Amino acid sequence: MRLFAIEHFHHFASMAIGVVMLGFGASGTLLTLRRKMAGALARPFGNAALLAAVLLIAVPAAVELLPFDPTQLAVDPRQWAWLAVLEATLALPFAAGAFATLAALAESADRPGRLYGASFVGAGVGALAALGVLSWLEPVRALATPAVLASLGAIAAAAATERRGLALLSAACAAVATVCLALPPWSLDITPYKALSQVEAFPGARRVIEKSGALGWVVGVETPAFRHAPGLSLTYTGEFPAQTALFVDAQLAGALTSWTADSFPLLTALPAAIPFALGSRERVLVIGGGEGIEVAAALAHGARKVVAVELSPDLAELQRGRGNTNVVWVIGDARSYVARTDESFDLVTLGPAGGFGASAGGLHALSEDYLHTVDAYASYLGRLRPGGVLAVTRWLDVPPRESVRVVATAGRALGRERVRRGLLVARSWGTVTTLAKPDGFSQEELARLDQWCRTRRFDIDWRPGDLEPPVPRFNRIADPAISRAASAVVAGTERAFFDGYPFVVEPVTDGRPFPHHFLDLRRARRLFAAGRGEWLPFAEWGVLALAAALVQAVVLAGLLTLVPVAVSLRAAWRPGLPWLFAYFALIGLAYLAAEIAAIQQLALLLGHPVYAVTAVLTVMLICSGAGSVWSDRRGEGAAPTFVLAAWLAMYAVGLLGLAHALQPQPLGMRVAASVALLVPPAFLMGTPFPIGLRALAVGDPTRVAWAWAMNGFASVVAAPLSALIALEAGTPALFALASAAYALAALGLANRTRRRPQARILQDP
Amino acid sequence: MTRLALALILAASAADDWRTTERLLLVRQIEAQGVKDGATLAALRAVPRHEFVPAALADRAYGDHPLPIGHGQTISQPYIVGFMTEMLRPRPGMKVLEVGTGSGYQAAVLAETGATVKTVEIFESLAREASERLKRLGYKSVEVRHADGHFGWKEAAPFDAIIVTAAAGYIPPALIEQLKPGGRMVIPVGSVGGVQNLILVEKDAKGEISTEALLPVRFVPMLKGMR
Repeated sequence: MRLFAIEHFHHFASMAIGVVMLGFGASGTLLTLRRKMAGALARPFGNAALLAAVLLIAVPAAVELLPFDPTQLAVDPRQWAWLAVLEATLALPFAAGAFATLAALAESADRPGRLYGASFVGAGVGALAALGVLSWLEPVRALATPAVLASLGAIAAAAATERRGLALLSAACAAVATVCLALPPWSLDITPYKALSQVEAFPGARRVIEKSGALGWVVGVETPAFRHAPGLSLTYTGEFPAQTALFVDAQLAGALTSWTADSFPLLTALPAAIPFALGSRERVLVIGGGEGIEVAAALAHGARKVVAVELSPDLAELQRGRGNTNVVWVIGDARSYVARTDESFDLVTLGPAGGFGASAGGLHALSEDYLHTVDAYASYLGRLRPGGVLAVTRWLDVPPRESVRVVATAGRALGRERVRRGLLVARSWGTVTTLAKPDGFSQEELARLDQWCRTRRFDIDWRPGDLEPPVPRFNRIADPAISRAASAVVAGTERAFFDGYPFVVEPVTDGRPFPHHFLDLRRARRLFAAGRGEWLPFAEWGVLALAAALVQAVVLAGLLTLVPVAVSLRAAWRPGLPWLFAYFALIGLAYLAAEIAAIQQLALLLGHPVYAVTAVLTVMLICSGAGSVWSDRRGEGAAPTFVLAAWLAMYAVGLLGLAHALQPQPLGMRVAASVALLVPPAFLMGTPFPIGLRALAVGDPTRVAWAWAMNGFASVVAAPLSALIALEAGTPALFALASAAYALAALGLANRTRRRPQARILQDP
Repeated sequence: MTRLALALILAASAADDWRTTERLLLVRQIEAQGVKDGATLAALRAVPRHEFVPAALADRAYGDHPLPIGHGQTISQPYIVGFMTEMLRPRPGMKVLEVGTGSGYQAAVLAETGATVKTVEIFESLAREASERLKRLGYKSVEVRHADGHFGWKEAAPFDAIIVTAAAGYIPPALIEQLKPGGRMVIPVGSVGGVQNLILVEKDAKGEISTEALLPVRFVPMLKGMR
């Protein structure tokens, strides 16, 4: 997942989950195709384990050769084919591994809980180990770890079945994998669309910093041709200081600058300096301080205390090393800091690169971002002293989308009363800065701001007291949407504005934290028809890629799992089989939906998606494993699944609120709370599969394989489907969907077992 | 003349004719997309774009998309070239500064409109190759220099028009300074590695600067799989 995030973009990382599921589903297919079932599965088990290990080394290398370019998905149909090939190839090692597990399961279908449980626990431990390894090794090296572990598994299998040949081959594989840890045969092949590739291509570019951590891969590049001064006024005529470009996951994250006494004119010509036109700001909170500019601007304008919050510890350390005692660095996520601190500020500022990863146009449509929701802005406003102001700067996007949403969000956070005198929007040739001042702007402040902006040739797109959107004097823009939006927000007519706007620009809440998502399918069709379709993909391809992934998942998974099932079905049709399929499909869908919803909501509580993914995967897998084992002894019927459905329904309603309440706690407490919240449902989520197997597929390896295949198909489709649902309807809706799916499955099971009382399985003596 | 030689010559000129036809079709397409300036369209029709791309890609020279030209750089999409040229309001005798020579194609197009072109390229080998190519094709009014475009070209300033094909997060002050009153600059600016906006910068008779945000672009350094 981390490699995907670096090489391509964040949302392809979530595709990784789907790929794994695809492998699982395909392995079920393989089993249904085998003629001989009983007894002869010990050999394939060992072979599959070894194959998995080998593939884990070979596949990443093979994948590098694929010419896949995600930004061309909307215009180049061949890219869809490459995406399919990529997914299929990546799924291979997981297919092999899953086949091994499935073979074992089919062998001992009377006590599936134990084995399924063991596989779960192993996966859970693996997830935790992954985080550990990534903190220690760079992602390219860490990639060899699964191969090492898989080889060890194959060795164990060989030992259990006393097969010399297999043992030797597995040992060789383990050795190769270990070597790969030190000398990786793969290289990080970063898409050229990312800033790191571009800046490193400059003549004389040298990589001077490189730090790897679970929270991001930080690189610093020095080249005389790089200068970082986002939105610099066109009236500036002076020199530029020496700068080192900083990248997190290959995207531009800021710069290390050797500011000198002569730098003041530059710093006062940047959009970051706009809030200081109002007068001195003594206490400043910079969210995303690792970028460098906002902190420098605050210091240059005489701030006495600057608190810089930065998520990336490496970035913070680098900037802190520039040494200024007026700056307090807080390493961690901003929402948690704002929730727990008692400090109040004269200025809270977010720059265009605020948060983890730079705001690179619409490429982050799918990433959850809790820094730009209404709840977030409201919490920032809550930290202001009397006379304090919130300043949010974004790159101007044409046609305006993000800048419009920021205006609308600030307006909603201010509230009907305060927005009339408290909203101001200033625009340079390339950036839009929204100021929200709860106490309102005085006439004197407005005059000062006017003068300040005029000398720098920035336009004021909205000021309190404007009756009509003002006409820009210096920077023309074809569509004055920003002014119109501000006008609508102040007048209270924003609903009409949103409905009429070609993009989705309503403010988002923590329940649907996708502030970079501007496209819905209805509007997408309209936009394509209008003929501007050529550039649109550049700006909004995230959603299209997700839709593409969903379609591909259905097709690919359908081919690999459903078709063979259908073929082998003809001979063995029984009434009641649809229930089997439905049950396992529903629980497959529900498991993944709940998992993804949990990841997204816990990303708020824990502050970074990587923490959320690790916590959720580890706890869910281990506890589901425990649940599976428990279900062998005690689990009967549909009761556990009903309880689970009720629990998830509770989360649909209340988990987000709980996350808000827990935010002020220190990280350790929040992690503990997350684990505690995950354990009960995760435990229960391990039970439906073994219970279902025993009730519906006992003693019949073919049925087991079908169950596995249906489960796999549903899981593959569920991954992009859940992401789309979260995007369009919010994460509580996703929890509700999971709850409903489990309830439905439980109903179906209760129905079946009432009609046909199941045979009692004798326990081992 | 031997039959073989005759056949080869016929084939070559047929290929040339075919390329010319392709070029005319491309320009008609660009016109349909909104580029209306006569001088620009005539220039696009005249410049043999296939001479500016690597030989292996010559067959794709007349598609409306960018192509890699080596050293991690690209030759821009023809529509964008037409759009940016038109924005400059090209006329004979104009003095134009280009930052980011690349293959030299844009400079050639500007030269065809009758302008004198000073073009700056930061990559040494590209600068040299472009210079040789332009000389070979007979574009005498173009001068190529290997330098960092951030500083413009002080000795040849001021310019009637400036065109920049490298994206950055700021507009170099030197370029603003080297623009004549009444002059126009077209430059892509925004977050590096993301989507940029094409900005038109105008300096009025009194030297005051105003801008207009035109359209979103993405200046791509290289296409994957074609290194």
